Amino acid sequence: MRNLLLFVLLALSVSATSASAGFFDKIQKFADPESKERKIFSGATQVLSSSKEIDYPTERIIGESLALEGLQRFGNPVKNESLQKYVNLVGNAVAVNSKRATIPYQFAVLDSPVQNAFAVPGGIIFVSRALVSILDDESELAAVLAHEVGHVSAKHALKSTQRAQFFEGVGTITAASVRGDKGKKFASAIGDMQTVLFDKGLDKDMEFEADQAAMETNYRTGYDPAAMIRVLEKLQKVEASSKDKKGSWFSTHPPLAERITRLQAQLQKYPGYSSLASVHDRFAKNVRLK
Amino acid sequence: MKITRSMVAALVLLLVSSMAMAEEKRWVSSDGTTLKAEASATSENVADVLVGTEVTLVESGGRWLKVRTSAGKEGWVYAGRVSDTPPAAEVAGDDGGVFGGTMQKSQISTAKADSARSIRGLSPEATQYAKDQGTPEVYKKSLDVVLARKVSDKELKSFLQAGKIGEYAQVNGGVK
Repeated sequence: MRNLLLFVLLALSVSATSASAGFFDKIQKFADPESKERKIFSGATQVLSSSKEIDYPTERIIGESLALEGLQRFGNPVKNESLQKYVNLVGNAVAVNSKRATIPYQFAVLDSPVQNAFAVPGGIIFVSRALVSILDDESELAAVLAHEVGHVSAKHALKSTQRAQFFEGVGTITAASVRGDKGKKFASAIGDMQTVLFDKGLDKDMEFEADQAAMETNYRTGYDPAAMIRVLEKLQKVEASSKDKKGSWFSTHPPLAERITRLQAQLQKYPGYSSLASVHDRFAKNVRLK
Repeated sequence: MKITRSMVAALVLLLVSSMAMAEEKRWVSSDGTTLKAEASATSENVADVLVGTEVTLVESGGRWLKVRTSAGKEGWVYAGRVSDTPPAAEVAGDDGGVFGGTMQKSQISTAKADSARSIRGLSPEATQYAKDQGTPEVYKKSLDVVLARKVSDKELKSFLQAGKIGEYAQVNGGVK
């Protein structure tokens, strides 16, 4: 009878766990408990502070205003509609699998000689011609765009300036809020965010978080997550031979070697990643910038 | 203490009921997710499911999971499209409202965020900002073009299929 009891217990425990041994579930098994706790913690604080959070239309207005400044600084989009369409397809492919999948995202390649990419609140993402030109396949482009989507998802730019708090509690911004005295405050807050996004760069931890998000999003979409590491290695080569680093992805981000080391450790979470898609030929056909 | 058959039966019943309570949950985390009749992207559609929808795990088959919705619909979903934690609810819409993590509220907020997909071109507020800042017209026009670009779900699916990406990847030699 005791054996029967043991058998029943064993059978039940086996059947209870077998359904969970899925492909993506393996990620969780390897998940760093520290980061998991951090996620839970950030989720809790988000709920607590969300009454003060900026609503989406307001976030979008902030983003559009910053995008106007970004274009003036880095240049207009490359005049190549098929390239722009292709980048939007790759960008949306990863965005729908990001942590913020339900807002609209738009992507554009800017005619800039500096290797750079940036995202403004609300989902407008720019990548420079120079950065796209050093990439070799679609999974690498996906990784760069997923990194920027990661910043939008986590609302990094909005969290980066004290002045951004000006928007909190304002509710929805209207055309009236960007005129007169209120308009001055709005412009001043946009100015502060520009400095962070284009000059100082986001907080180091935010960059690491976006790198990790890029890897995770690539993996979920079905692109090789190691592409993010390959992009950073390419930038290391550019950095070594570059005199003027101003405004590039490596001047406004933490040291590339440190980012690569962290991502290599994370790669262990993705068993069988090397068989995922890289898509070299379609990339070469659509991107002719070299 | 003597263990009787009825005690074993009671224990089994207890374990089965606790198992039922501990059913594994997943949450739809990708936009444009559809449950499929079989574990294949080209099989028949069972139901479209919104981001934030809670589903119960029925069966795991490598990269595909069989799940059941609260409405009782069962189907297969690509594992990359669900996660084991609920996605953060989107704060969207014109009321600046806050939505909690419940399925219903999350779906409402998702629908609101979806309506934002209809955004076309530069907003009147950003246009006003550009006017006040004296932003050259050329940049305003450029951004207008960027914002008007839209990728439909159908285009996205064809793109993934042509590139054999994710759920369209050839399973042979792929990751199990």
